[in-house]
Amino acid sequence: MAAPAVKAARGWPVLALGVRNRLLRFPGLTQVRGSRYGPEYKDPQVDKEYYRKPLAELTEEEKYEWELRKTQHIKAAPASKTSSVFEDPVISKFTNMIMKGGNKVLARSLMAQTLEAVKRKQFEKYHAASAEERASIERNPYTIFHQALKNCEPVIGLVPILRGGHFYQVPVPLADRRRRFLAMKWMITECREKKHRRVLMPEKLSHELLEAFHNQGPVIKKKHDMHKMAEANRALAHYRWW
Amino acid sequence: AMLTRTSRLVSGARRARHGEQHEGLHYNIPLQDMRTLFPHSLPPRFSMQVKTFSEACLMVRKPALELLHYLKNTNFAHPAVRYVLYGEKGTGKTLSLCHVIHFCAKQDWLILHVPDAHLWVKSCRSLLPSTYNKQRLDQPAEASIWLKNFKTTNERFLSQIKVQEKYVWNKRESTEKGSPLGEVVEQGIMRVKNATDAVGVVLRELKGQSSLGGFRLLVAVDGVNALWGKTTLKREDKSLVAPEELALVHNLRKMVKNDWHGGTIVLTLSQTGSLFKPRKAYLPQELLGKEGFDALDPFIPILVSNYSPKEFESCIQYYLENSWLQHEKAHTEEGKKELLFLSNANPGQLERLCAHL
Repeated sequence: MAAPAVKAARGWPVLALGVRNRLLRFPGLTQVRGSRYGPEYKDPQVDKEYYRKPLAELTEEEKYEWELRKTQHIKAAPASKTSSVFEDPVISKFTNMIMKGGNKVLARSLMAQTLEAVKRKQFEKYHAASAEERASIERNPYTIFHQALKNCEPVIGLVPILRGGHFYQVPVPLADRRRRFLAMKWMITECREKKHRRVLMPEKLSHELLEAFHNQGPVIKKKHDMHKMAEANRALAHYRWW
Repeated sequence: AMLTRTSRLVSGARRARHGEQHEGLHYNIPLQDMRTLFPHSLPPRFSMQVKTFSEACLMVRKPALELLHYLKNTNFAHPAVRYVLYGEKGTGKTLSLCHVIHFCAKQDWLILHVPDAHLWVKSCRSLLPSTYNKQRLDQPAEASIWLKNFKTTNERFLSQIKVQEKYVWNKRESTEKGSPLGEVVEQGIMRVKNATDAVGVVLRELKGQSSLGGFRLLVAVDGVNALWGKTTLKREDKSLVAPEELALVHNLRKMVKNDWHGGTIVLTLSQTGSLFKPRKAYLPQELLGKEGFDALDPFIPILVSNYSPKEFESCIQYYLENSWLQHEKAHTEEGKKELLFLSNANPGQLERLCAHL
C-alpha cells in the first residue's frame, strides 16, 4: 500500500485499540488517507450463503475457519457494501468516482438512469433489427458497461521520471487497478467536459459507453493516443529501474 | 412459486369479459387504440415503457375489476354515480383509470378524459380575462390542447351530437342551433382566444344531452383534488387566483356534480402533482379538503393498494418474458425476494427498480 498522506494538524487523535499510528515519529501530523486498521484486522464476510450453511454440513477446514474468525479482529463493513445479489464492485467504484461533494444519492440515481438509458437504446436497436442481427445485439447494460471499460483500459502507461534535472515521460507497464482507474477516469472526464450544457449526464454517458463497447469514440482514441506516446518514447524505457 | 400459465391473456376477444379468474394477468391494448384514446395523456414512465416494448400491456387488478362490475350494472335512469380511486403513490390509480376508459371506449361510450387536472392550476403562461364572464380567467393554451385530444378520442360523436342553442363567439362568428358539436370544437381549436368558452359549451351540451340517451357519457378526471385546492397562478397585480376564478375549473366542477344521468363519473386523487399537500397524504378527506369532500359527497371510494403476491409474481413474469430484466441474478429466487423487499410490492417502485436492472 502507498504511504498514507499526512496533513499538519494540532492535537493528538485518540487511539482506539489495535489502530496503529506510524506517525508517532512525526508529532503534529494527522493521518488522512490510508487504512487505520492494523495488519491483524481481517475483511468482513458479507456473503449470505456463507452464513446459511448449517453447521453439520461444514468440512473440517471450514469449521476451523469459522472458529478462527470468532477470535480474530474484523474490520467494520462500509455502508456502501451490501449483501445484495445485485451489487457490483465495479459499478460501486464508478458511482463513487461520479460522486461530487459526497452526494451519493445523486451519483447513484445518475448511474441508474445511465444503465436504463443504455438498456432502452439497445432495445430500440433490437426491435428495429432483422432476425439475424438480433442475436448479436447485447441488451444487458451490465455486460456493456464492463466490456466498455475493459476496452478503454490502456495496456502501457507513461510515468514522469526525474533524470538530470529534467522530467522524462517513460513508458511503464501498469498495474490492474491503475488501468481500471484510468479507464473510469477518462470516461467520466470526457463526459463531463465534452458535453453540451443542455445534455444530461446519463444520456451522454450512455452514448459514450455504447461507443466504447464497439471500440469507437473519444475514450478509445485517448487510449490509443496513450499507446502511441508510449511507443514514441520507447528509447526512454531504460530509465525505468523496477 | 412460479405461475404455470403465462402472464398474458391469450385472446383479445375476451377483453370485454374480464372476470375474477383473469386477475393478475396482463392484457394487450392495440397501439392504434392507444393513439386514439390516450394522445399525450399517459403517465410519462408508462408511455416510455410502451415505446420500448412497442406494445401496451395493462395488468387486470381488483380495483379495476370492481369498477367494471359496477359499470356493467349501472342504471342509466339514476343520477350519475361518482367513483373515486384513491391510494398511496405509485399503486396504479391512473392505469386503473386507463383500463376503465379503454373498456368504455370498446362499449362505445363518449369519453371525457382530463388527463391531469393539476396542469390546469399551475404554471400557466397565458391567463386572459374571460370573454364570457368578467370575474373569471381563461386559459387558452390548456383549453386548446384539451380540445385537440377530445377531438382525437371522440371523432365519431362529433358529427352525431347537435348543439341545442346558438352561440355567438364574436362579431363575425357564431354557431347556429342544430349544427354538429364538431364545429364548436373546430372553433375552439382555430380561435385560441375562445378555446375556454368552447370547452364550457362542450361540457354543457354533453351534460344536457346525455340524459336524452343517445350516447353514454364517461367523465374521467385524474387528479381531481386540484379542482378544490389552491393554485399557484397569479394575476398581473400579483394577487393569487382561487380555483373558482378559472373558467375551466368552474365548468369541470359543474360536470362532476351528480345532477345529470345517462353516464358515470370516475375520478382519481393524486398527491404527486398536487399543491400544498403533505407528501404522505392519500385519503380523500386529506387531499380534497372540506370543500372538495362536501362537493363530491356522496361518492364510492375504491382503494388501490400495492401488488398482492400473485400480482407481483405476474409482473415479474411479464418483465422476464419481454427480457426487460437483464441482470443474471434477477431470474433467481433470491433476486425476486430482494425486489419484493426493495419495492414493498409497490408497482411504481418496482418499475423504477427493474428499469436499471
